[in-house]
Amino acid sequence: MAESYRRNQWSHGLFILPYLAFFTVLLVFPLIWGMWLSLHKVDLFGPGRFVGLANYVRVFGDSVFLQALRNTLVFVAFSVPALVALGLFLALALNRTTRSTSFLRGLFFSSSVLSVTIVTLIWRFVFIPGDGLLPVIFEQLGMAPLNFLSTSGWSLFAVGVATVWWCLGLPMMLFLAALQQIPVDLYEAAALDNASPWRVLTRITLPSIARTIMLVTIIQIVMQFQLFGQAQLMTNGGPNGSSRPLVMYIYEVGFVRWDLGKGAAASQVLFLIILIAAMAQYVVSTRKTEAGE
Amino acid sequence: MTPDNTTYRPAALTANRTMLWLAGILSAVMMAPVAWLIGLSIKNNQELMLGTESVFRMPYTIANYLNILHSSQVFGWLVNSFIVACGQTLGVLVLSSLAGYAFARLHFPFRRTLFIIVLFGLAVPEQAVIIARHQMFNWFGLHNSYLGLMLPGMSSAFGVFLMTQFFRAIPKEIDEAALLDNASQFRIFWKIMLPLTLPAQATLGIFTFLHGWNDYWWPLISATKKEMFTLTVGIASSQTNFAQSEGLGFLAAQAVFASLPVLIVYLVFQRHIVTAVSGGAVK
Amino acid sequence: MSASIEINNVTKRYGALTVLDNISLTIKPGEFVVFLGPSGCGKSTLLRMIAGLEDVTDGTISAGGTRVDTLPPGQRGVAMVFQSYALYPHMTVAQNMAFGLENIKLPRDEINRRVALAAETLEIGHLLDRKPEKLSGGQRQRVAIGRAIVKEPKAFLFDEPLSNLDAALRGRTRLELAQLHARLGSTMVFVTHDQVEAMTLADRIVIMHDRKIEQIGTPMEVYQKPATRFVAGFIGSPAMNFIPVTAVGYDNAGLSVTTGGLGTLQTQIQPQPGFSHDGSTLGIRAEDVTVLSDGETGIGLTVEVVERLGDRTLVYGALDDGTKLTAEADGRSAARIGDRLQIRLDLSALHLFDAKGIAHRLEGV
Repeated sequence: MAESYRRNQWSHGLFILPYLAFFTVLLVFPLIWGMWLSLHKVDLFGPGRFVGLANYVRVFGDSVFLQALRNTLVFVAFSVPALVALGLFLALALNRTTRSTSFLRGLFFSSSVLSVTIVTLIWRFVFIPGDGLLPVIFEQLGMAPLNFLSTSGWSLFAVGVATVWWCLGLPMMLFLAALQQIPVDLYEAAALDNASPWRVLTRITLPSIARTIMLVTIIQIVMQFQLFGQAQLMTNGGPNGSSRPLVMYIYEVGFVRWDLGKGAAASQVLFLIILIAAMAQYVVSTRKTEAGE
Repeated sequence: MTPDNTTYRPAALTANRTMLWLAGILSAVMMAPVAWLIGLSIKNNQELMLGTESVFRMPYTIANYLNILHSSQVFGWLVNSFIVACGQTLGVLVLSSLAGYAFARLHFPFRRTLFIIVLFGLAVPEQAVIIARHQMFNWFGLHNSYLGLMLPGMSSAFGVFLMTQFFRAIPKEIDEAALLDNASQFRIFWKIMLPLTLPAQATLGIFTFLHGWNDYWWPLISATKKEMFTLTVGIASSQTNFAQSEGLGFLAAQAVFASLPVLIVYLVFQRHIVTAVSGGAVK
Repeated sequence: MSASIEINNVTKRYGALTVLDNISLTIKPGEFVVFLGPSGCGKSTLLRMIAGLEDVTDGTISAGGTRVDTLPPGQRGVAMVFQSYALYPHMTVAQNMAFGLENIKLPRDEINRRVALAAETLEIGHLLDRKPEKLSGGQRQRVAIGRAIVKEPKAFLFDEPLSNLDAALRGRTRLELAQLHARLGSTMVFVTHDQVEAMTLADRIVIMHDRKIEQIGTPMEVYQKPATRFVAGFIGSPAMNFIPVTAVGYDNAGLSVTTGGLGTLQTQIQPQPGFSHDGSTLGIRAEDVTVLSDGETGIGLTVEVVERLGDRTLVYGALDDGTKLTAEADGRSAARIGDRLQIRLDLSALHLFDAKGIAHRLEGV
């Protein structure tokens, strides 16, 4: 007896073949090969020899790496809360559809569409000793100018300021989206309950977007761990590596010194950190959905 | 959020003047560096060398911008960025639409497993694959070429994810009606599904274009020859010899000039960009 | 052009879940058959299996003698009207109707001829250049029907097409569908959960419940001779009265049935062999329970709720032992809550259902 027609057909899979080809060749294969590379001592000229975890040992034993790791952690610890807090503030302040708020929202988001090199150029012009906007202002105010870009500790701060300026738009937009999902009825009920604006904020608004706050935080953590351009161009990781982030370390090891195995190992460490953050995001978003929000 | 004047609006939603003013002040702080940049760009380079406070004083000049028109570098960079961004966008749109349609609508073996694998692709940061990619492209001699610059971006899982969501939003009955109308799967895709997702295509297209245009990391590594520099790499390279370069004013003008295409795209397509970023929820 | 449809031992499973269990039925050419049942009984699934939109796990489906479940949906020769109409939003009405014909490469003038003819039949000729978003619900539905007509299919499949219409439009459209069937004479399979639609439109009704077919019959058959307790309770409004049976007695004329509130009734029912009165139920419709005028005596009923519908009055009450009973009185009845009425049952209209819900009635009937 002939087979019944089935909606499940191999031929339907042809539609995803083109993408899968790109995905496999350009993502899966390099990922696996990167891991392989991290276990070998390789340079540009010959095939490497297997060294097991030696590269990882070298990485963790490298004080430059540890410094870069510390820098990155500090950077994330300060920039992410700033971004989340400012983004939330702006979303709360601009959550209305008037011309002025629309304009302001457009303004705050516009910095996000610029490339990192333009952003760093703008901010170098602000910070460079002598000619920058800040030194000029300092001078006008009669204060001794601080060389942000070449003072240990301040250099990372300068990178942070530029980053917050650049990345503010996305958290703001995501919070706006979340705020607009809150049903108006909740606010009306609160008004009938005589709630003060502060209570409304803390007891109704913020809890309603708690999940989004969590998500935005994790997204920003993942993004800011990948800090590179701002640090490379504004301070070149200096002075003395005090503003060198992890990705810049990978860049220098892998593409300047061509110590591919070690660079690959460092990049796997970064990948692991980011993967943990991404997993956390997934867990948070699925768990909250199951709890029915 | 009704603008109706006669409907009661809860106090928590109406004007919080202080916050609005604070936001206004913050926006001024946001704009200050840009104003500074523009100020630098319209000053004579020699004047600036003597001291940049001259930005606050007359006279102003557009000489720097005119110089850009003579200098060929920026234009070359612009063209490169444009080609790469366009090519990448086209590739992503085609690949993601086909794949998104299949994941959303078609039945084939291992569909769910494959989708989860693609989803995992979203979690992989560029740094984890960049060294290997660089080696691969070395073998095939793809560095310093347009193709080499475009290809990595086409493997992004984001586009597939987005298009799958959009295709899922189309009512299933429309496919079914088309099936009963004797249309082949491809014809359904081409004549029915694609036209219905045009807004999604626009959104994904603009998003991908911006991403390709602003990419720094990959072109930095892959386009090492000056003539293949994209705009981002070019601007970065011009920063290396700050003091001895063609002058602060010229550099500033170059930066302003380089920002214009992106800002124009942003102004024209603002709504689409916001949709892409916020998942369509922000009004 | 219209064909018969044979469904042979069809089973549908989603993994471990069985949705349809060994269904068999034959639809005659030109017949209007309604699949009727509550939500989740599998009627839509069965319809979609005929169309090819769901896989057949076991069994076969044939149309006009040829097996169709091996074919893809478009080649089975059936056309479907969806509940939400599923019109292509970006195409005009004319393009919507022509799409299917273009796919089978019909010549352009044949396509135009068929579209024009269908448009005339459904009175949508003036809408041909409009897009679906500019049409009302009723107009969209006609376009959906038009799209089906132009294919000149062996059978039409309707998936709850009236559910999205408001009450007034629903009545009118029902009429038009009946007229359409009369005019085209095609085989039509109609899915609904509304028994009024089923009763008014069907040549035969297939009542489905819990993955199986309960009964297949003409509207009158299922109304007057329901085969199971489910069918008896599902068809007819208000629902049939069900009273538990306490004892039976066997007699030449028929079973005598004893219940709590009604005493012993002499019926004409001849039960099948193997009948046990354990767990069995007596059924009688409200319209067969007459309210007696003053002075006559019958069985006592205390009124609890009165519903005045204008043409009749429904009296919901309780018998002396507490069993609930619904009776139908004249529209001008003056019954009030708390009244004690005297009712009489039409003994020829009694139904008997055993513990499994199977009906037992006069043999040969």
